[in-house]
Amino acid sequence: MSVLTTSETLRLTWDDPGTGEELAWNGPLPVRIGRATDNEIVLNAAAVSRLHARLERDGAGVVLIDNGSSNGTFVGGRRIDREPLTDGATITLGPFTLTLDLDAAPPTVFAASGRSPAPTGTLTLRWTDPVGGAAREARIERELTIGRGGDCAITLATNRASRRHATIAPDGAGAVLTDLDSANGTFVNEHRVTRRALGAGDVVTIGDVRLTVEQVGLGAPVARPGADSATQIIEAGALPPPLVAPPPPPAPPNEHRTVILDLPDAGPSARPQRSFPPAIFEAPSVPVSALAATGLPVDETLFLAVGGGLGSFVWVDHLVTHGADPRAITAIGLEEKPYGRYKRLCAQSQIPLHERLRSNSDSCPDNIWGWPGYAVRESFTSLSRGQFGNAIKRTWQIFGEPTFAETYTPRAGDVFDSIDREAARIGWERIYRYGRVRAIRKTDDGRYVIAYSQSTPQNPSDHRLILARYVHVAVGYPGIKLLPDLQQYRETTGDFKTVVNAYEEHEHVYQGLIRGGGTVLVRGRGIVASRILQRLYEIRQQNPQIGVLHLMRTPLAKGHRYGRAERQVIDHWEYQPFNWPKATWTGEMRFQLERADDQERDRLLNDWGGTTTAYRADWVQIVDAGQREGWYQIRFGDVKAVGRDPSGKLVTTLVGKGLIKDETDLQADYIIDCTGLEAQVDAHPLLKDLVGHHGLGKNPKGRLRVTNDLEIVGMDNGPARMYAAGAMTLGGPMAAADSFLGLQYAALASVQALADLRAPGVRRLNFITSPIQWIKWATGARP
Amino acid sequence: MTPTLFGRWQTRTLLLLTFGPFLTLPFVLFFRLTPLLILGMVLCFGYCWDILYQVIQSGRWDRDWPPAYQLLAGIWEGAFVFLVSALLGRVFGVFAVPFPVFLIHYGLVWIVTFLMSQSLMRIVFPNWRYRGGQWLF
Repeated sequence: MSVLTTSETLRLTWDDPGTGEELAWNGPLPVRIGRATDNEIVLNAAAVSRLHARLERDGAGVVLIDNGSSNGTFVGGRRIDREPLTDGATITLGPFTLTLDLDAAPPTVFAASGRSPAPTGTLTLRWTDPVGGAAREARIERELTIGRGGDCAITLATNRASRRHATIAPDGAGAVLTDLDSANGTFVNEHRVTRRALGAGDVVTIGDVRLTVEQVGLGAPVARPGADSATQIIEAGALPPPLVAPPPPPAPPNEHRTVILDLPDAGPSARPQRSFPPAIFEAPSVPVSALAATGLPVDETLFLAVGGGLGSFVWVDHLVTHGADPRAITAIGLEEKPYGRYKRLCAQSQIPLHERLRSNSDSCPDNIWGWPGYAVRESFTSLSRGQFGNAIKRTWQIFGEPTFAETYTPRAGDVFDSIDREAARIGWERIYRYGRVRAIRKTDDGRYVIAYSQSTPQNPSDHRLILARYVHVAVGYPGIKLLPDLQQYRETTGDFKTVVNAYEEHEHVYQGLIRGGGTVLVRGRGIVASRILQRLYEIRQQNPQIGVLHLMRTPLAKGHRYGRAERQVIDHWEYQPFNWPKATWTGEMRFQLERADDQERDRLLNDWGGTTTAYRADWVQIVDAGQREGWYQIRFGDVKAVGRDPSGKLVTTLVGKGLIKDETDLQADYIIDCTGLEAQVDAHPLLKDLVGHHGLGKNPKGRLRVTNDLEIVGMDNGPARMYAAGAMTLGGPMAAADSFLGLQYAALASVQALADLRAPGVRRLNFITSPIQWIKWATGARP
Repeated sequence: MTPTLFGRWQTRTLLLLTFGPFLTLPFVLFFRLTPLLILGMVLCFGYCWDILYQVIQSGRWDRDWPPAYQLLAGIWEGAFVFLVSALLGRVFGVFAVPFPVFLIHYGLVWIVTFLMSQSLMRIVFPNWRYRGGQWLF
């Protein structure tokens, strides 16, 4: 039996069953675990009893005692009453599996770093040097000139680059790229540009060099405040660390050395003092009469959509369909196409245009009624082209799914095309304007004032203000999230080439594998892992010398249970057609969630959510064939460290569970982290400012608190209202908050609330006006 | 769309009371009130079947109701109503129609209400799909 260390604290780690986020608790014995909020560890799920189990000292060791729980306490899969625990033991209570660490780690993995994180929002460029293939990197903290010339901040030794080819300059939390009349042009995401705003995930191509833009300072929280702060669930001890390690490693140059252009004059003190957002934004409520004195251009609108992505588009679509005057609507965002960012994340996580999304037929961002859905449209298109087989297959899918047929999902390209058509119909190009929203404040005349910038290198301080009465915030996921051990590896080594997140641009991994073969370690078992595995399977047809190690924390024998239903598990992958049970979109589970309070919502989401993938026959076959042929193997364990061995291979050290604490090294050439996106409010500069300034508070999932109409609680200002949609509203009335349908639901609920508030022009659709609007949609007429 | 019990009842009522009589009218010309009685039975027995469907649905993880299940339910409900009407016909000698006529009448009503529940309901009532079929309240 392991002996407690002198500090006498222990550490428990587990994944939030609702979101998959990694959580941790550190503290001394005794520890009470249960659903009630007075326990040290609060696990909120129906299958967890109020006081479910206790951890107590037993001589020099730790013992776990079941407190007569209804659904039992399990250690290593075996039901127990009283069980001495060893380091690494896995404790299962309902949907939660906790791993015990007796070696009392410091409160967080990162607390010891002692380095202040990079300012949130700094973007970083990463590319491969065309000569020598070294991974390089530069922070966009000042204007950087890119070109062939030796005097450029970023020198690209390629003949296809001009001497001075382009510049990239910081702009608020983002950056702006300007082509300097280069001979061969500058491309962003394959489109030639002369000037364009850059955000995380963009890919700049100059000649044959691809530079990817990444967000710095968005780390993975290893813990978040618990459902109630009375528990000792630790706050993340330090701010999440930056993805990029500022000090270059002292190691001698090798081909993976990272070059960081962190020049002394680029420090914060040397940067021009910005007074934007203006000082009056510090006041609790901004006096409108003081706006003119700022000297900034001030504009007015009635309805303002902040974000400019799919959430904004769907809201504006609902608004216009419900009678609002398009001239009174403004949308501010960074991408001309509302699906720009979504499309990029899809492409990088291996959903090209011809592949299918994990979305339902009726979830149509281009059609507020959800009819005809994508399946019906695809069937008709196929019929008109004489592809009777496909037409029949798609019709049969929506008729029989998910029992008799695989669930229908639409092609990514079809969805984007449909959004283009709807954007043209509602005049999106006149509603949308480019800009990065920096802060939102209440005004003293019952409106909101929004500070945003449209900066360019020529005009680096093009800052503006806009007043609006009804504001909608849909800014999406703040960034990508890496597993803590992978992040630590990247921080200490600066190697961003071989350890990647699936949502990052990582085509070089596949190209490298096709050229030289090798082993890929995949982490995570959600839908993205399925996509990555599919791609690896595809490139294996070109080079069979590719192996896949799939690392999972724990084996999975049984799926989540809720009521009489249980989810399917095959080969430790858990299956469900969509992220959440379908009844949470439209059926009784949606009503249940709508009626519930914050605590109960947290519990229901834990019962219904979790990491799952969709059942697709080809994916199941890939896993099956891979295991038989030996090129796909599953390993279980907790990662102790990730590093490099002398031969240059990535080594993931696993530590055994239970009595035998053996260490196993997994060797791989690449690691792909498929665990997801950052989703905490605090990781988004705009939302963090909004919540902090107005004292809004967050829900138990760490997201924005919203009413059932999706109104942000505490942001009403006289007649003015502010609504939200998307990932940031999980924990609200809609479980599938970040889905197409979730965006549509949020839009309908908030627009109907606006109709009830008598917002100018906005009326609820009734059984006469609704079909009229639908006919206009079907015929392509303006709403 | 994953219906709730109230949603099933409300949608069934609306569709059978609008399209039902309209489609039954030609049959009334030849078979007098019997087709209307059959329509009424489909509606009334349906309220009971809906409770059963809801119980079955709650045992499914997604708590959904694929259109294929709706077809199976439709076949079952049709068979039940035909047997009851045949029984009534034998006892009272008036309430029965020949099986082919029943098949055409019932099939027509079922197909139309099924298609309308998959399309028109969404267009007429934008909230319908989010409220498990509860168009009224």
